[in-house]
Amino acid sequence: MEVLAFLDNFSLMTLVKFLLVTLLTVYAIFALLMMKQISAMTKAVQMQDDYIIRGLGVLHFGFAVIVWILSLLPAA
Amino acid sequence: MPDVYVAKKQEKVKDMEKKSERKSVTQLKAMVEKIGGDSLFTSFASFPKHICFQTQEDEEAIVLFMRQHFLVNTPWIIMSIFMLTLPSVFAFFPPYAALSTAMQFVVSLGWYLFVSGYTLAKLMGWFFNIYIVTDERVVDVDFKNIFFRKISTAKIEEIQDINVQSSGSFETFFGYGSVFIQTSAEVPEFEFVAIPHPDRVGKILNQLIDHEEQEKIEGRVK
Repeated sequence: MEVLAFLDNFSLMTLVKFLLVTLLTVYAIFALLMMKQISAMTKAVQMQDDYIIRGLGVLHFGFAVIVWILSLLPAA
Repeated sequence: MPDVYVAKKQEKVKDMEKKSERKSVTQLKAMVEKIGGDSLFTSFASFPKHICFQTQEDEEAIVLFMRQHFLVNTPWIIMSIFMLTLPSVFAFFPPYAALSTAMQFVVSLGWYLFVSGYTLAKLMGWFFNIYIVTDERVVDVDFKNIFFRKISTAKIEEIQDINVQSSGSFETFFGYGSVFIQTSAEVPEFEFVAIPHPDRVGKILNQLIDHEEQEKIEGRVK
């Protein structure tokens, strides 16, 4: 019965939202990996002002987390 | 007492070694003219002051620091700008128009996130693909994507052959090209692809080889 109730309430929007959240979760992990890789590379080769590229990595990860949180909100 | 005397002598030898090391770098500086700056996005710099790498030894001096010419970034920069403009036509796609306003907002943000990720990945690919020539060795930092990086080194004395190649109208016009270095090290070939001043790099590498041979003859073996 619960399954049927779920299928009754299931809509295309739910599917889209589920796919979007899954995609953004994977992307946030990818952004985290990217940030870690930047950190490792800036340790391997140290340059003047390399905090700029590290900052870009952190910003990108922050952006990914914000979009992921927004996708979880009930309004979305 | 004799021990104290020996210790002083050892210190003197160390000082002499340090002086000869500095002298060797000074000689190199006299041979290689100062080119390029130390800025973060530089493509070519000789004797950069603010750059060092993890496996660099105390007395080892970076002679050349290189990246691919900035012009190689043009295709992905154009692509990124094009992708940034795409959300303006999203509204014409029926599946997107069918979404709620909040969902449309999240999808658009997601798209901008993807574009920023693409741009950052491409920038990293250029930024961390580094070629370093020190007074002792050649270092090639390969960064193909975020899951693959490789750092290869070969000593200057292991270099067997150097080929400089500049082909195509763009490379000729903007003065960049590739340098191929054959070595007897574990990595048989080093490829410095699309670097500025390839002829100069080839010349400097030859000078370094001569310098290394001269040092061997004179007896300073590092």
